[in-house]
Order: sequence, then C-alpha cells, then structure tokens
Amino acid sequence: MSLRMLNPNAEVLNKSEALRMNINASKGLQDVLKSNLGPKGTIKMLVGGSGDIKLTKDGNTLLREMQIQNPTAIMIARTAVAQDDISGDGTTSTVIFIGELMKQADRYIDEGMHPRVMVDGFEIAKRATLQFLEKFKTPVVMGDEPDKEILKMVARTTIRTKLYESLADQLTEIVVNAVLCIRKPEEPIDLFMVEIMHMRHKFDVDTRLVEGLVLDHGSRHPDMKRRAENCYILTCNVSLEYEKSEINAGFFYSNAEQREAMVAAERRSVDERVRKIIELKNKVCAGTENNFVVINQKGIDPPSLDMLAREGIIALRRAKRRNMERLILACGGDAVNSVDDMTPDVLGWAGLVYEHVLGEEKYTFVENVRNPHSCTILIKGPNDHTIAQIKDAIRDGLRGVKNTIEDEAVILGAGAFEVAARQHLVNEVMKTVQGRAQLGVEAFADALLVIPKTLAENAGLDTQDVIISLKGEHDRGNVVGLNQHTGEPIDPQMEGIFDNYSVKRQILNSGPVIASQLLLVDEVIRAGRNMRKPT
Amino acid sequence: MREVVTIQVGGFANFIGSHFWNFQDELLGLASDHDMDPVFQNPGVNMDVLYRSGETQEGVLTYTPRLLSVNYQGSLGSMSSHGTLYNQTPELPSPVATWKGSISTQRSESLNRNLFLQSLYKEEQKESVGKDSKHADSPDNIGDQEIMESLENGTQFWTDFSKVHYHPHSLYEINGLWMDVEGFDNYGAGKDVFAESSRGEEMTERLRFFVEECDHVQGIQCVVDDSGGFSSVAADFLQNIADEYTNTPVLLYTARDPGSFMSSKSRKRNISRNLNDAVSFAKLSPFCKLIVPVGLPFLGGSKASTYLRVNDEKPYHCSAVYAAALHALSLPFRMDSLGPTATSDCTLGALDFNSIVQMLSGQSRQNMVAILDTTMPAPTIGEQLLSKLQTLTPEISDDMEDLHSVETLVIHGALKSDEQRASVFEVQDAISAAYEQASSRPRFCHLSAATCPLPIPLPFPSIFSQTVGRCGQLLSNPSSSSASKGSLDVHSIPMAARLRSSSAVLPFLTNRLENLRKFGIQHGAMGGELLKSWGFGKEELEEMGETLSNMVRTLAPYSDLTSDSD
Ligand SMILES: Nc1ncnc2c1ncn2[C@@H]1O[C@H](COP(=O)(O)OP(=O)(O)O)[C@@H](O)[C@H]1O
Ligand SMILES: [Mg+2]
Repeated sequence: MSLRMLNPNAEVLNKSEALRMNINASKGLQDVLKSNLGPKGTIKMLVGGSGDIKLTKDGNTLLREMQIQNPTAIMIARTAVAQDDISGDGTTSTVIFIGELMKQADRYIDEGMHPRVMVDGFEIAKRATLQFLEKFKTPVVMGDEPDKEILKMVARTTIRTKLYESLADQLTEIVVNAVLCIRKPEEPIDLFMVEIMHMRHKFDVDTRLVEGLVLDHGSRHPDMKRRAENCYILTCNVSLEYEKSEINAGFFYSNAEQREAMVAAERRSVDERVRKIIELKNKVCAGTENNFVVINQKGIDPPSLDMLAREGIIALRRAKRRNMERLILACGGDAVNSVDDMTPDVLGWAGLVYEHVLGEEKYTFVENVRNPHSCTILIKGPNDHTIAQIKDAIRDGLRGVKNTIEDEAVILGAGAFEVAARQHLVNEVMKTVQGRAQLGVEAFADALLVIPKTLAENAGLDTQDVIISLKGEHDRGNVVGLNQHTGEPIDPQMEGIFDNYSVKRQILNSGPVIASQLLLVDEVIRAGRNMRKPT
Repeated sequence: MREVVTIQVGGFANFIGSHFWNFQDELLGLASDHDMDPVFQNPGVNMDVLYRSGETQEGVLTYTPRLLSVNYQGSLGSMSSHGTLYNQTPELPSPVATWKGSISTQRSESLNRNLFLQSLYKEEQKESVGKDSKHADSPDNIGDQEIMESLENGTQFWTDFSKVHYHPHSLYEINGLWMDVEGFDNYGAGKDVFAESSRGEEMTERLRFFVEECDHVQGIQCVVDDSGGFSSVAADFLQNIADEYTNTPVLLYTARDPGSFMSSKSRKRNISRNLNDAVSFAKLSPFCKLIVPVGLPFLGGSKASTYLRVNDEKPYHCSAVYAAALHALSLPFRMDSLGPTATSDCTLGALDFNSIVQMLSGQSRQNMVAILDTTMPAPTIGEQLLSKLQTLTPEISDDMEDLHSVETLVIHGALKSDEQRASVFEVQDAISAAYEQASSRPRFCHLSAATCPLPIPLPFPSIFSQTVGRCGQLLSNPSSSSASKGSLDVHSIPMAARLRSSSAVLPFLTNRLENLRKFGIQHGAMGGELLKSWGFGKEELEEMGETLSNMVRTLAPYSDLTSDSD
C-alpha cells in the first residue's frame, strides 16, 4: 500500500482493531469528562509542568487544556468544541453522549451485529428523536418585551453548572439585562456588543453591569482630567501621530534644509487634524460646562496629546477595533475616519467619564449614557482563576439567554428530555422499525440515558434506582427530571431547570454523525512517534 | 526615542528570541555595574526602544521587553506563562473560590528547573533578602562549569537558558492544537489556528497592550519560524496587523533551524516541504515591508562558522548565532538620532525602521527580500572585514554581480588590534577605505557603528573555536585543543552584520516559484491535493505564483521564469 510508505513506522490496523481503538478512545474521553457534568459535577484543577494552575468546570476549556494525541479522541474533541462554538454550551454532554453511543454499539457488535446495521438504527433513532424534540420543547413567546423570568431561569440553570449557587445567582440578572440591552428588534443578537472586562483586585469579588463601556486603557497625558461629567464623545479612526521616517544621515535629501522642510510639512498636517478636533470641541462646548472626549483607534503622539490637553480635551489612543462599534451603540453618534467628516452630529454623549488605576493597568469608564445598546460586564476577582471561572460562566449565561430569545423555546432539563425521548423511542418508534436496525434504535435510546445517569452519579446517587424511578414516574404520564439532592423525580418546570433548545438539537445532530463515522471505520493508520525534541 | 515592538512566533523563533533578550539583559546588567568596562555603558543606544517600564499592583517597578511570544502549549518548559515578576498572591490552601462541590486535581509531570535556572533563582532570593550576593561564594553555589554542561546537554526548551523577566502578557501559549511537533510541520496544519477559539483575538489584544503605551512606535520586528504551521498562524496575525497598524512598518525575519531542512526519503514529504516553503514565503511577504530569510541547512559546516563550533542538531547552538546577528541589526534603530550634523563618540549611523526599509527596498528597484550576512566575531578593522562577511540566508548565489545592490552594514565593538577597541570614526574610515578597494562595490551602502561589543552571557552556548580570545579577538597562535570555548572564556565579541538587497537572492526566489508551479499549479501537479487540503484553491495559488514572480521580476526583469509560458 502506498500509504504505508508515508511513514515506515506506521502500523496499519485492520478493521476490527480499528473499531476497538475507536470504542476505547471514546470511552476514555467520556471517562475524563463525565465527572464535570451538571451542578453537582467536579471542578478540575490542572497543574502544568511548571506548576501553573488551571481550573475548570467547563468541558470546552478542559478539552482545550488537554494534550490529546489519539486521533479518535481528537475527532470527538473537535466535535465537542465545535458544539460550543456553534451553540455556546453542551460540550460535556456531547462527549459523554458520543462515548455512550459507542459503548452501547459495542455490546451489540460484540454479539456479531454488523456496524452498518447499527448505524442505520442510529439514523432512524436520530430523526425520530429530533421530531420528538419539536413536540417536547416548551415554546417561549418573545414579542417586544421578552419574559424576563424565563430568561433568568435559563441563565441560572447554566450558570449554576459553573459557579456555586449564591455566586451564580448574583449573575443571572446581570446576564439577562446585558442581553436585553444589546438586543435590537428583528436583528440577530451580537454578543460581542457585551464587553466583558476584568480587574484583578486583591480583596474584591464582585461583578456588575456597566451601562456603557469600560476601556482597558487611559489617557496618556499627565494634564488630562481623570474625571469629567457631561461629555461629548468623539469616536474616530484618524492618525494623530507623525508617521514619516526621520532620516538622520541625510542620504536621501541633498541637504539638511530639504529634510527639515519635509519633517515640518508632515508635522503641520498632523497638527491640522488635531486643530479640526479642537474646533469641533469649541463649537459644541463653548460657553458651557460640557466636556469633550476623543477615543481614537489610531495612535496619538505626545505633541498632539499636548495640544488636546491644553484645550481640556481627554484623549485615548489605540482603542480596540470592536470598541468603535460598541461606543457608537453605547453613546450614539458615528465613528469617523477622517477629520473632514467631523460635525456635531457625529458626537456621542456620556454623563460621566472617569479613569481608574490599578498598578500599571488603567481603565476608563464611559457611563451614564442615554440609550445604551452596548454594555460591559465588569468582573472583579482576587486572581486569574476566579476571574476565568466567572468569565466562563458569564459566557455560558449570555449564550443561554441569546439562544432562548432566538429559539423562542426551551427544553426541560435535569434529564427530563432524555428520559422522555428514550421512552418514546422504545415504546413508539422501535415497533415501526423492521429487522435488526431495531437494535440500533434501542442502543441509541439507552445511550440518551447517560445524561440523567451521569447527573445522578455525580450527585452521589445510585444510578439504577434513579433510572427505575424516573422511568416509572414518566410512564405514569409525568414529565420528570432528576432531583440532584434526593434522587427523587421532580418536575423541572416547577424547579425552573431549563436547557437550550438549539444546544440539545445540535448534540442530537452531531453525536450520532461522529459515532457512525467511528463505527464504520475501515482501517486506521497509527503513526509511530519519533521522539524528536520540541524546538 | 521611538519604540519597537517584537513578535516571536513558533519554536525556533523563540529560541532565537531567548538569546536575543539574554543579550539585552546582559547589557542592562553590565551598564548598571560601575566596575565594568565603561564601553558597556553603551550610551547612544537606547534600551527603552525595546523595553517598557511598568509597575506591579504591589507598586514594584518593572522593566520588561515589549514582546509578544507565540508558541504552542508546553513549550515554556519549567517557566510559568505569567512570567516571574507579577506574581499573584499565593492562593493556598484552596484556590477554588467559585465552586463548593468536589475538586479533582490532575498533575502533569513536573518539570524541574535545570541548574542554570536554579542558580538564577537562588541569586534572586539572596538579592531580595538583601545580602550582597554578587560575589558571594557560598558552598551551595552551583559552579558555572556545571551549569554550562547542563545547558549543553540538557537544553530542551528556550526557557531553559533564559535569564530574562517577561511581562505576563508576553508569553502566549496556543492550546487545543491537539497535535505534536511532527503533525504541525506544514503550512496547512496551522490554518484556522489563528481564527479559531478566539486565539487571534487574544493575540491581537496582547499586541495592542504593548502598542498602546508606545508614544511613537517606529515598527514591529517579527521573527517567525516558517518551517511549518506557525507560518500560517503568523501570516494571519500579520495580515491583522497590517489592517490595524497600517503605517507601522513590519520587519520580518523568517527563521529556520537546520533540523527543518532534513530531506526525507519520502517523495511525498519532500513535496510537502517544498510547497510549505513556497507557500509560507508567498503568504508572509505581502504583510511586511522587508523580509529577511535566516537559517542555513548546515550552519555548523558553513563559512559563517569559520570561528565557531556549532552543532547543527542543537537549536540552542544555532539560534545563538542568528540572535547575535539580529542584535547587531537592531542597533541602528535603537541609536539616539542626533540630527545630520551632530556626532557621538559611541554610535554612528542611526537609522529608523522606515529608513532601513526605504534604503533597501525603496530605491530604484522595489526588492523587499534582504540577505543577512555576518561575521562572528568580526576581525580587527584593518583586515578585510568586508570579505569576511558570510551569509546566513539560504539558497543564495555567491558569484552574482549586481550593480544595483544596496546594503546596510552594522559593526559594533570592533577592535583595531588584539585588545584595543576602535572608535566609530576609525571604523568608518576603515570601511570607507575597504569599499574603495573592493573589486565590486554596491551601488549604495550605509554604515552604522557602535563601540559596545556583544556581551556573552553565562547561558550562551560553548560555540567558539580556540581561535577566539577573551574579547573576541582572533588569536594568532591558538591552542590546538579541539574543545570549544564558551562564556567562561569569551566575555564579549565584536560583531558585524549586514542586510543586503541583491540579485544574489534570486535562487531562493526562483526555487520557491518553480516548486510552487511544478508541484502546485501545473496541470496534474503532484501536490495539488495537498494544497487543496491546506485550503488553497486554484485562484489563490495563482495569486501566490504572481507574488513570487513579481519578486523575481524586480531583480531579473528579463528572466524567462516570470513569463507564464507553460
Ligand atoms: N439543577 C439541576 N438539576 C439537575 N440537572 C441539572 C440542573 N441544572 C442543570 N442540569 C443539567 O446539567 C446538564 C448540563 O451540565 P453542564 O455541566 O453544563 O454540561 P454541558 O457542558 O454539557 O453543558 C444538562 O443536562 C442540565 O439539564
Ligand atoms: Mg453547560
């Protein structure tokens, strides 16, 4: 085989060995992530070779920190990470669901069933489950004023899987308000318009929503005000620095005067731009107590800063590209790319602008804006771990709220959907399927139960008891999820445990696809590793 | 003063960087030590160009490189990615302030600090205790000889021999690659790495941190290991930079470790290698103003190693030579500019980024590819220094006459006799005379000179031959021992380095162009599928071909290669 030549160390595995390897790798990855799932899951502390510590409760972060080498495991990890990129949640569930599909399939294949037939059964079951999902979902009517209570419950459910309850509950309101702040009717929600900013602060653990913007830099001139009220905001992308080269040796110009003239001309044109800004300031501020703030995406050099400072203008340089957009949404006005576009109506407004300094880090707060469509969630925490945990949780929460608004639906959580779907497959779907593919449907159905089972296991409950009582309660006609404290069935609706519809759908779509690919493997080339030193 | 921000991307680039910053750190140390030779005060060369002043939250002042280093996770060895200065308050017993449920701990095998890092650490502890540690010879001191041996034999990561404190924003590790070094050996392996999982955003933000505080950034110097996936990470990053900092010139060194040239028995692998080289070059060059390919396939056996004993298998060795050259080249843009008439005794020929770029690529022809030559150490100025310059750029022709060539030469720490330093004016006179006598002269040449030589820090590898003396002078009757000399025997060396815009670089360019055509563009090309898997369509390949043939055309207007006859 020509492929064999590719690497003389490569070892070609035959079909059944390859299948075995896939199953083992899936189980292995499942084992690693399983304990993460749900509000009773385990947080993982990873200590690197240098003693660096990373903490995470999040499947996505955990996968990215792992040095995965096995190609099968990499395939699954990629699917799971993509799950997070697309829908913002459900990484852990994806990995353990794929692992379980492989485990269930393994049982039947061991007894002589052909993987092809298994895969056919998966396909039937997947379609049936997706149809069932449509029936099962709880519609949420959005209208002009979304139901804040349900949004808060969704946010709370997901954030509580990352932070302990009382800490989580401080964030739900913030997250919901942030999304509602940036939401525009008839447009997809752009979560980038919520800035997440953090400050490392020895004693403070606190998160708050700033209706406005927090920038991670300050003015660069000693005489500029550190605090100003009633500010016009000029958002611009105009170079206010001298850019041409300073040529010293005089090689390129026949004489020094010529060179000096060049330099002076360039300087004049920069000064001219600064003067245009000052003119605009004078036009709008003259005779009032109002202030003027320039936030520029390009650089501002010291002579320009001097000129601006002398006029009482606050100026920030090298603002993030994305902040140009956010500023406009928060303060109003337009971002300008040229001084020729500067008229009073491009200016935004903020009631308060002030600077906050922590060591070498500076922050500028642009607050008290009139009708913000962009906002900042500001996290204070004593160390990077705490901040990272809270950030992860906030991201999950934001995505959860956005998904709910866009899905106009939610799914009852705590395993309720999985139990119901499993019963539906076994009781209704299986009998409509001919032949051995039935067993594939059954395997799929049982694999769904890995979610409630794992939730139970992580809560220290007996998984078999739990599954029996959930199935029983379900068959009495109730929607049931798992009470993580007692193991008893509960109604997730009553408890306010909701998952995202789009997250569930994505898991149901991608899980079986990968499992099928892994089952239908032909042969796998396992490359021998040549331990060259990393350079 | 105009700031320069440095970016290092990929394995070998960071090895070079590590030596580069060691030189700077050594210079800072020497300058603050008044017992040292005053030449190391190095007035006229401004460290603030490359370094930033900062302050920790505890109010401790810091001075760290304006640097963003990008590499894959695990490449920092025993160094913490937060660097060493801005330590956070220890959080034990439980660092988990956000979770009340159970915790499980997974420990990677801990990497012990090598002897060198241990001794650094000890020294620092002593200093912080307040004892005068400089010459303290307490019994627990680790012997320098021992340290050097452990570095020679055990260096695995660039951090193993680094003595520099880095800012916590400086060291960026790419995680979630799920690939080993081998898997990451081609351009395609790095595609999407920048875009995915907000990595690009993180890198852009960190760079912005360093640029925002610059009053007047003159440029970005960038070292990229272009032997594999990091080229595409760097290409995406540079594109981003070109968008964001439109008028800030980027000077790009593409660097290779000899190991990356190893040809393989597999034809497929060689094709992949060739295509990687062509694609990397074509993709990186559009986003910089000047590109300097650095790295010979056999550095140890090359003419550039006449006075050196370089082991090609050790990135620790090879990177030291390239770093020394990069240091020399950085001097002109760090010199205080004095205006056209003023002179200084210590430096001569300041040139900022834009001027270097203008001079080399903006003259009569727009060639943006420069050749790097060096002599390490530089001979005394009387000798034919010019003829001793040897190239560090691969695939260069030796015997190409180019009437249009332009060059910029940097000499620092030059000696006029065995132990006597030459003044910058003596250097200038000697070089002018040398150019007068030379059989072929460049059309244009610029000289920069400084009196301060290259200091050899303790963790510098033992790569000098017996010919090299304590001050880098070439000994007339060296010991016949075959052992190499290191930092204990050689304390500083004079250096010369040159950037040259010349048609001698044509083979480098045409090899890439031909390979791209042969293996990638031509009908039924053997690498077609491979390039597709790297994400390139026909149009993009032709665009790259166009980029390369434009570069060839600039230097050889009548070459038949530039016409698309096939
Ligand atoms: N209070 C709760 N009781 C029981 N299950 C819960 C509760 N809150 C969330 N869950 C379940 O936890 C699962 C999500 O856990 P999580 O750790 O976020 O994993 P993932 O990465 O898959 O999103 C969902 O199945 C959800 O229904
Ligand atoms: Mg979740």
